[in-house]
Amino acid sequence: MNPYVPILAIGAIGFGFAVFSVAIAFITGPKRYNRAKADAYECGIEPSPSAAGGGRFPVKYFLTAMLFIVFDIEIVFLYPWAVTFDQLGLFGLVEMILFIATVFVAYTYVWRRGGLEWD
Amino acid sequence: MINSKGMVAQLLGQDPGWVIALKGLLIFIFCVVLTIMAVWGERRIVARMQMRLGPNRVGIFGIIQGLADGVKLALKEDLIPKTADKIVFIIAPIISATTCFMAFAVIPLTGEVSFFGHKTVMQLTDLPVGVLYVLAIASVGVYGIVLAGWSSGSTYPLLGGLRSSAQVISYEVAMALSLVAVFIYAGSMSTSDIVVAQDRWWYAVILFPSFAIYCISMVGETNRAPFDLAEAEGELVGGFHTEYSSLKFALFFLAEYINILAVSSLATTLFLGGYRAFPGLGFTETWLGGWFTLFWFFAKVLIFFFVFVWLRGTLPRLRYDQFMQFGWKTLIPVSLAWILIVSTLRVMSDQGAPQYLIFGFAFAVVLIYLVISNYSDNAKAKLATDYKNFTPENPEFPIPISNRTEQVIQIRDEAKK
Amino acid sequence: MIRTALEVGMTKSPEAILFWVLAPLSVLAAIGMLLVKKAVHSALLLAWVMISLAIFYIAQEALFLGIVQIVVYTGAVMMLFLFILMLVGVDSADSLLENIKYLRPIAVTAAIGIGGLLVSLIGRATISHNAYGLSIANQNGNVQGLAQLLFTKYVWAFEVISALLITAALGAMVLAHSNKVRSKFSQRDLSAARFRGKKLAEAAGLPGPGVYALHNAVDVPARLPDGSAAATSISRVLEARGDVLESKQFELQQSEDESSDK
Repeated sequence: MNPYVPILAIGAIGFGFAVFSVAIAFITGPKRYNRAKADAYECGIEPSPSAAGGGRFPVKYFLTAMLFIVFDIEIVFLYPWAVTFDQLGLFGLVEMILFIATVFVAYTYVWRRGGLEWD
Repeated sequence: MINSKGMVAQLLGQDPGWVIALKGLLIFIFCVVLTIMAVWGERRIVARMQMRLGPNRVGIFGIIQGLADGVKLALKEDLIPKTADKIVFIIAPIISATTCFMAFAVIPLTGEVSFFGHKTVMQLTDLPVGVLYVLAIASVGVYGIVLAGWSSGSTYPLLGGLRSSAQVISYEVAMALSLVAVFIYAGSMSTSDIVVAQDRWWYAVILFPSFAIYCISMVGETNRAPFDLAEAEGELVGGFHTEYSSLKFALFFLAEYINILAVSSLATTLFLGGYRAFPGLGFTETWLGGWFTLFWFFAKVLIFFFVFVWLRGTLPRLRYDQFMQFGWKTLIPVSLAWILIVSTLRVMSDQGAPQYLIFGFAFAVVLIYLVISNYSDNAKAKLATDYKNFTPENPEFPIPISNRTEQVIQIRDEAKK
Repeated sequence: MIRTALEVGMTKSPEAILFWVLAPLSVLAAIGMLLVKKAVHSALLLAWVMISLAIFYIAQEALFLGIVQIVVYTGAVMMLFLFILMLVGVDSADSLLENIKYLRPIAVTAAIGIGGLLVSLIGRATISHNAYGLSIANQNGNVQGLAQLLFTKYVWAFEVISALLITAALGAMVLAHSNKVRSKFSQRDLSAARFRGKKLAEAAGLPGPGVYALHNAVDVPARLPDGSAAATSISRVLEARGDVLESKQFELQQSEDESSDK
């Protein structure tokens, strides 16, 4: 049997369960409408019309996400390299050291410029 | 017995449809039941740590407390805030709950067993890129958090969702990097092959730094104490699921616990020899026709779970900036350095380098480490002496003098005007 | 050559079913991505397109590529995409005003350029090349075969990618990072400043709102021991928003309260 069918199977089971739970809650739960219940939670004061900053995320997190992608791509290369490490030998090691060192330049630059400071 | 790579994939390839369906269902039921038990277990254990009794009313020892909580949630009103984006608000918990089950598809739970007369292993499927698959599923799972935070249309969930997604992606990098050394040693990314490759030594022993980094980052990845900043009650109320009620909230709760079990299972598989017995007890692996290996697997997973609870009972929550800095400035560079050290040593021994060269390299690494740590210690010591200079005028309240303090006061006073 | 390509390209029945179920869905999602009003919804639809692409890759036995597609595209790029949306504001629906001059010609040129690139790439990979077939390519395993090529024959391309990653990180820094005018104060600095401040009473921090009031809410000031309202107990943000309840009404009235206490 194709090795991907079981993944679809467990995915379908999980999805079915989640959809069922969301749907059944409409039936089992009480429905007593109240204006305050439909308000967003803000510790008892009148809620602001929309979430903080108009529902926007601070620009700082763009940098975090970008660095994440940079490292994610590095990892995507590291994995097949690690798997065939014994066949590649010294040549593989040297090229990966070069690769990691180059990416590390970007990392150090971001660090030195203060891109890794959170508050 | 499974003792060569690729055997599991071959065995699983012969599974007929009904075995796959039944196994999928069993794993699903197992996850749900284990979650219900884990909720109860966590509350009992943490209660003991805080000198309380914990839930003990529902069933013997309160054992079905988790189930009772679930039923209670099902009978609660399902609220959707009027500022919410309704479609995304409903999709978010579904994404979270679906992805958390999928990670279990590649975890080997037992060795070779007889499953209703059919020879197989308790593992849904075996992919050559099994571990990468788990990471892929985890990165889709983050969507649940981000979307829940965004779609609520409310301040606290938005900030909580932002925090937990930033946290999850930061620690996912460290976690993924810590696994590279395992692949180098096992020569495969398939979970079952990695278990087979650990027949002599667990990777937790020979690759201890990788294991340590993985263990730290898996706590960060699952948003658990002491890294549970997204649910910092004092500052962010409930985090990204503040606006969720009823079973939608239950789904997030379920997803959180299944994720804990999933990362623990992955740690067991990659570092603690998976379903294999503890050293010296190898003969137990054939008991009950191989089913006894399930016991070993869950014993190891439950040890991890206990440590999760233990951490929660012991450690205070980290501050956000310290937490992110720890991830980015400590775990990631250390992981990268460790990968390079391991691979260099491996190449040296593969190429038959003389002993003195290998020892020389190890010595050089230790030397570099000492220089770096000495440098950072000096910086810390300098900081400490700066703060030791007290003012003579105000002896009752010993306060360090520094330009910085003056600056702060000045700025604060200006702000007040 | 063409015959081998056709044989390789033939789909078996389970794969064909998968294709005919997923392909319309992903095309619909792609069209929907262009048509929906809210930017986050179109981002979600794009994520679905990426996932279904990954499933297609996996069905074509390019296992590693499929999983990497999920990790990098749906995981990383979509996360980035969502973050950007959160930067530009999500509540506002797409405005159809084109602010950039010559937007359409630029877009058309870029589209044609990418299309040409893809056609030439596929052409270079297929025309006058013999198709080996999957069984030979995946002989030592999909990942191993890929790694062997990537780290030996295409090592130069691999190293160039690291330079690309540097560019990405630099770009993000330039766009999103601004140097702070003054460095952030640590908790230690702030604590020292509190103790050296004008009033030692504030050294322990400000009182919490609503604690001694009749109401237990953040918009109600705390009361001082003498019964008057503590104005400092309310967040300045709330004050600016005008969300503070008048503190006068919560002040302790000596006679009334004493009688009610008894």
